[in-house]
Amino acid sequence: MQTAAPQLSTGSVFELVDVHYAYQDIPALNGVSLCIPAGQCIALLGANGSGKSTLLRLLAALCFPDRGQLAAFGTPLSEERMQQEALAYDFRRRVGLVFQNPDVQLFNPTVFDELAFGPLQLGWEKADILRCVDAMLAQFAIAGLKHRSPHRLSGGEKKRVALASVLITRPDVLLLDEPTAALDPRSQREVVRFLAGCRGSGRTVVTATHHLDIVAEIADYCFVLQAGRLVAQGVPVDILGNAALLRATQLLDAHNDSTPHP
Amino acid sequence: MGEQSYRPSGHRHGRGDFLERLLRGLLDAMDHAADAERLAARPGMLQRLDPRIKTLGLLLLVVTAVFVKSLVALAGLFAFATALALASRITLRRLATQVWTGVLLFTGVLAVPAIVLVPGDVLVAVPFVGWGITRQGLRGAAFLIGRAETAATFALLSILTTPWPQVLKALRSLGVPLVLVAILGMTHRYIFVLLETGVQLFEAKRSRIMGPLPGPERRRMAMASVVVLLEKSLHLATEVHLAMIARGYRGEVYLLDDFRTRVWDWLALAGFLAVAAIAIGWQWLALSGAPR
Amino acid sequence: MHIPDGYLSPLTCAAAYAVAAPFWFVALRKVKDQMQTRLVPTVALVSAFSFVIMMFNLPLPGGTTGHAVGLAVAPILLGPWAATLAISIALFIQALFFGDGGITTFGANCVNMAIVGPWVAYWLYRLISGETPLTSPRRIVAAATAGYVAINVAALLAAVQFGIQPIFFHDAAGAPLYAPYALAIAIPAMMIGHLSLAGLAEAVISGGVVAYVQKTDPRLLSRSAPGLAASGGGEAAAPPAGWRPTRALWAGLAALLIASPLGLLAAGMAWGEWGVDDFKDTAVRESIAQASGNVLPPATVPQGMERLSAFWTAPLPDYAPAFMHNEYFGYILSAMVGAGLVVVAVLLLATLLGGGRMPRATANP
Repeated sequence: MQTAAPQLSTGSVFELVDVHYAYQDIPALNGVSLCIPAGQCIALLGANGSGKSTLLRLLAALCFPDRGQLAAFGTPLSEERMQQEALAYDFRRRVGLVFQNPDVQLFNPTVFDELAFGPLQLGWEKADILRCVDAMLAQFAIAGLKHRSPHRLSGGEKKRVALASVLITRPDVLLLDEPTAALDPRSQREVVRFLAGCRGSGRTVVTATHHLDIVAEIADYCFVLQAGRLVAQGVPVDILGNAALLRATQLLDAHNDSTPHP
Repeated sequence: MGEQSYRPSGHRHGRGDFLERLLRGLLDAMDHAADAERLAARPGMLQRLDPRIKTLGLLLLVVTAVFVKSLVALAGLFAFATALALASRITLRRLATQVWTGVLLFTGVLAVPAIVLVPGDVLVAVPFVGWGITRQGLRGAAFLIGRAETAATFALLSILTTPWPQVLKALRSLGVPLVLVAILGMTHRYIFVLLETGVQLFEAKRSRIMGPLPGPERRRMAMASVVVLLEKSLHLATEVHLAMIARGYRGEVYLLDDFRTRVWDWLALAGFLAVAAIAIGWQWLALSGAPR
Repeated sequence: MHIPDGYLSPLTCAAAYAVAAPFWFVALRKVKDQMQTRLVPTVALVSAFSFVIMMFNLPLPGGTTGHAVGLAVAPILLGPWAATLAISIALFIQALFFGDGGITTFGANCVNMAIVGPWVAYWLYRLISGETPLTSPRRIVAAATAGYVAINVAALLAAVQFGIQPIFFHDAAGAPLYAPYALAIAIPAMMIGHLSLAGLAEAVISGGVVAYVQKTDPRLLSRSAPGLAASGGGEAAAPPAGWRPTRALWAGLAALLIASPLGLLAAGMAWGEWGVDDFKDTAVRESIAQASGNVLPPATVPQGMERLSAFWTAPLPDYAPAFMHNEYFGYILSAMVGAGLVVVAVLLLATLLGGGRMPRATANP
């Protein structure tokens, strides 16, 4: 097995230049250019429908730009290139995505199968998989759920299983879509604590969220999206201090004057 | 028409509107999973067996129950099923409520007219109407009920002592293609999701209206929910496909099980085979004794 | 209509599995070709959908409720091959998990409800709706009719499967070993319920769903209207056209399916319908007479039945072992021949459809 901490690299993990993307006829991204450096924890902020989820899917190579360039780990990413077995294998090993909806993320009959799914696809040895599954179960304190079906889990348990099932293949890059949505406060804390722990670990983390109160804790840097465009970027202190921006992007209720404190 | 089915805790069957039925379906499915999980964790004879051996053995016995041509052998098989249940810490009460009564109500009602309708040697005539109860009719009814009860008991034992996902994985050893095992596992997973969606749909609708809905309105709701569920299914299928791709899926199905057979398993399989052989052989012995 | 374990003899079950197997095989291949890597999630979700709609209990006019199976809904929305696969999987889970339908009878249940029912519904729907636009009211009528006919055809098949049990499977004394009722009882018993309540439920839900889909998202109907796929939803994954060239084949197959049980029925059997040998045995004759109100059955075997029996055994050479000259063997043989015909039909169909789109041979029907 590889070592837990991925290499800190000076280069960028993702680079987008003027990326456009539309679902059928509905535009989702309108000329987004940004750069995500390796080892950084990034918050992707925006109201519902701002294009956060679409951007995450592009980063995970689940869809590809209609126009513009997208590069990952220094090489351009396209549908044709992802058809190449070796490239796809390497990419899937290095990039993990946690979907927002647990019904989508957890598609296996049991927690055990869920954790084993990624390693099986990557062709690990059976003994290695069994060992790693047990290690992950212990790390996320879900050993008791090993043979449970996903529908018998609480929201917090589902999120832990989702994280474990993606992290088991030790990806260099972790993409999360609204990881704290629809969780009770205690489970939210757990997720935030985990993400806070990722900072400085060398792993690149991109978290899409509209929960401003967790941003300062989990992010080194923020991108703000509105209607498919990148409208602002900066360190959390600056972004969270800019009440006008937050109101304009509907991240903050227009009638609510209190800004979250970093 | 009433269908024969296992009844986890009695909240199935009976009339009731659409929402109640869906809700019952969901509860049933949940109960089944929970029951199987709990019962499968108990120390019992069947629980100790490798799921593959168990599934194979119990399937063999289901087939045997359909095969036998002697009522004595059938009764013996039924006794064996009951003994297996007891050895696996499954109470008679559970068997009675969950399978025996249900089967008796469905098959029994269906089989009763046979005792007069099947022509043969008349044993007793029913007073007033003059219908003859025939030996052949009685035997026929006994065969039908006996087979249905015995087969259903063996089938239920298999799912009560094995968590459902493991039953599916065990099917692999019976020659079910890998891709079908994967599909079955995922189908089972999403039945719960869709049932929950259905229930939410109806509860939301119901909370907005007072009193019982008129028939046409309820019918419209039923149609609407079929379409909503289909759209949800297709949407989920697309999303789940992406979630699978994101984790390295390339259309190739892999299955990992943690099954290990021990000597005990093979002994049990030999035992199942012996029981099946005796049950079928019994009929052969009986036939060879009878005049041709 | 879910046949439990113990109602059908092992032979009938095996024959049903043999009939169903090629359909499953081709369906899996077809759907896999359409879906590629989406196969597993799509079939799983669609099967889960089929399972859930089978739980629906529909309120009917007049205050009763009916249980719909979705025999027409599935092929209209998903196309017939996907419907066969999805309903089979749903039936499998029902059998194993809920005890709705047996394990040995799973093949028979699939033949009735996952193969014959949906395919009858599919072609009837396409036949009646013709080239009408996806939003045409004719499609609602087509769907309702398809649902009604399909569930009744499926029920008739189940009734025939029940009804042939006592003919072939009884012990030495004539006691039925499986479903005890003859065709003359099984068919009316099954059909009364299905011609009324269950058929109505199926018609209402099929027509209703199509009407609803027409208003919300007519593209969902394009899978069962391949001719209109271009105007409907872009890459509608429906089976390629080929309806005209294969119509004769399907008509033949349908005729065969219907004719074989009717043939048995028309072969001049009394309502007791026991095997050929029984008519020759005086003791049995008397007992049948008692049961049928002292009308003595004919001393000679009804001619039709004799002929039928001879039909199966005639092609066998005389030096064949004795066991081959009885009605059980005839039954296996008939099942094998039937299954073989179906396999040939399916393979033929697969070649016709698979070998590129068939050009529309004739301009007008």
